[in-house]
Amino acid sequence: MTRRVLLHVGTPKTGTSYLQDVLFRNTRALAEAGISYPAHRFDAHFLAALDLMRMPWGGLEAEAIGAWDALAARVRAHEGTSIVSHEILATASRTQVGRALASLGHGDGAEVHVLLSVRDLVRQIPAEWQENVKHRSRIRYAEFLEQIRDPDRATRIGSWFWGVQEVPDILDRWGHDLPPERVHLITVPPPGGGPELLWRRFSHAFGLDEVDLDLHAERSNPSLGVPETALLRRINAAAHRELAPADYRPLVRELLAHQTLSQRTGSPRLSLPPDLHPWVAELTEQWLAELRRRRYDVVGDLEDLVGAVPDPRRWADPDKPVEAQVARAGVAAVTALLLDNARLRHEEERLAGELAQAHEALHRAYLRPTYRLREKLVARLQGGRAGRALLKVYRVARGRSSLAA
Amino acid sequence: MTPTARAWVAHLTAGGTTPWAQWRAAADHATADTGGEPDPGGTARHLRYLPGAQQLELLRRLNEAGRPGPALAERVLATSAPGRGIADLELVGAARDTPFGPRPVDPADLPDAELVRVATGLLAEDVVAGGPAAPEPGRRAWPWRRRYRLVGDPWLADPARAELVRRRRPPGGQQPTVHVVGADLASMLEHVWSARALVGAAPAWRDWLDPLVRRRRVPPRIDLPAVAGAWATRVGPVRVRVVLDPALLPGLLGTRAPLPGPLPLSADALELSRRVGAALGLLVLPEQRTRLLQQAWAPALADLPAARGTGVAVPQRRLARLTEVATRMREELCRADYPVLGDPDLLLPAATRRSDVEPTDAGVLALALAMVLGPTPGASPGSSAGPSPGNGPAPDEEER
Repeated sequence: MTRRVLLHVGTPKTGTSYLQDVLFRNTRALAEAGISYPAHRFDAHFLAALDLMRMPWGGLEAEAIGAWDALAARVRAHEGTSIVSHEILATASRTQVGRALASLGHGDGAEVHVLLSVRDLVRQIPAEWQENVKHRSRIRYAEFLEQIRDPDRATRIGSWFWGVQEVPDILDRWGHDLPPERVHLITVPPPGGGPELLWRRFSHAFGLDEVDLDLHAERSNPSLGVPETALLRRINAAAHRELAPADYRPLVRELLAHQTLSQRTGSPRLSLPPDLHPWVAELTEQWLAELRRRRYDVVGDLEDLVGAVPDPRRWADPDKPVEAQVARAGVAAVTALLLDNARLRHEEERLAGELAQAHEALHRAYLRPTYRLREKLVARLQGGRAGRALLKVYRVARGRSSLAA
Repeated sequence: MTPTARAWVAHLTAGGTTPWAQWRAAADHATADTGGEPDPGGTARHLRYLPGAQQLELLRRLNEAGRPGPALAERVLATSAPGRGIADLELVGAARDTPFGPRPVDPADLPDAELVRVATGLLAEDVVAGGPAAPEPGRRAWPWRRRYRLVGDPWLADPARAELVRRRRPPGGQQPTVHVVGADLASMLEHVWSARALVGAAPAWRDWLDPLVRRRRVPPRIDLPAVAGAWATRVGPVRVRVVLDPALLPGLLGTRAPLPGPLPLSADALELSRRVGAALGLLVLPEQRTRLLQQAWAPALADLPAARGTGVAVPQRRLARLTEVATRMREELCRADYPVLGDPDLLLPAATRRSDVEPTDAGVLALALAMVLGPTPGASPGSSAGPSPGNGPAPDEEER
């Protein structure tokens, strides 16, 4: 059987969290169809990507040590199709790409396919800024836009943004050693296209049409509105020194951003400033010409990358949000934190009750006459050299060194 | 990959030092794009892609500094810089004409910090491969040793404690006396950062120092009144001493032989350690990183003459504010009910102390190249045991 590796390398904000969640929750169904999604935890491929690219990520890198080689070994061991998916792989260097492909069996009998899901820059630019804010950044939108427009890409923001979003360059790095028919572009439908259409494209590209999958999502990476993102940026500015990354992730990113603020769908949506649209349109035209020339396999339509022209009447600047809207988002955030705090208090009370019961049981055990007799005997023996030696012999004979008895 | 670029890679792999611009000009002049030099190393033939400009320039600099050998050359070309930052860049004149990707560069124009990034990845791999020094066999503690604990300034306390352990005088035991070691506040700040550079994951010197001084904060370990006060509450004030004169320590700890000071590492050496520590954190767990940095990396680095020096120094313009904080600490110590050994005025930074010593990228790169190439021939093993009195600042420690 030919070993096939479907390597999905990005891009961020193209439904990748949903795809990875479905794959992770359906590993058994996939295995029955001969498809391996080798992940022992939902973020296993993220850790492997961190390891491959030797990238720090707020302490998670310590959990990533050796993860790529372990993943690659599982892929090589599977006779059939394996899927590897994480969006930060988009930013891998040529050297890292070379190592990744070789470790997955490219050039050694495996048929490696690279898949890239892509979305128009009109939506990707604001989404990437929002991702930065959800990862502790305090950068304002205007400053972010300025940095990504700097042709030198000398800043961290500029370097990262184009590393994970410049589709022709990503495919230069990942696809330079593959025939074009093994490079697959999956386009995200335009706004209003519906999530089912995107899933159908994923399903087709990954060859999952015949597999009976549970498509109920438990994890996703939902978007925030303008006042909610502005609020989060202010929280970052106020709390980033005090709040460790390990606490930030569950409290701010998960509880506040994903579970609370993303539910507020009535607020103004984040968008590209209308005056930047001509620049984006020109860039997109260049991309489309290049991608058409390369003749990759396209699932969807390259025209999806053109993006809608932003409506100036609906433009809301997140650097100058309507303060009343931010205040309302703030109330929602405080409420969520209070409710979570109350939940934790109840949990603390329950645990304190359990601990008290355990103490009481222990105390009752101490009150038994045999225990008190043994306690007296040990105290007496410890008073003299011979007694201590006797105790030592007893403990050695008993086989453990506990001083309890 | 153009033939000229391929030939340049082969030239570098064979130990060549010609900069890319010169190589390209010579190739243009010869009007033969096959290059003016044969491909002697063979490495370039099987390369499927052109390595990044950072890797190529680092290899060229290594060739200038020594003889890296083919295996190391191949490793350099195959290693991307760890962490986030500028992507691997293409060579100007060798990349195909495309508007996509970062702009191609002349490798000679790359900042030194970019080359250091690549070098730290190689050095971290070397440190992991070498492993930590074998632990000394555990020996029974000397029964009549003086019971003590040594806390406070980590740069002073840690090497002294390690030496005492080696002399069979481990800390702890029944009713120990707690010695809180300190120095002037500016030195203690320099010491805390230096110690953190050898633990791993320290911020850059000024990124760490400036907010602390601005907010008049003192790191917990060197807040001497707070440390001594906490111990006094725990063990009683009669068993706590604040020691501001480290020369008193051997007598207080019941040992006649002098205790060693910290490793005499220059600002550049500490900065390189910090950056290698960051790269090490991607290869091993935090505890192992600290062990490797302190037991394998730092002694090897200190054996390098160019790495020796007196460390970073607080900028002159920060001293006034530090003096304010130190004065407050001195007053608290004078009011306390535990003894303070040494003049409390020693806490105040002297106006004549050295200042404004910071790492430079050029100095850090020079050390990184030397370490990638391996231990310097002639460096005597074990010469890093303690500071030598005649050690002046390394040439690369001059004020910016």
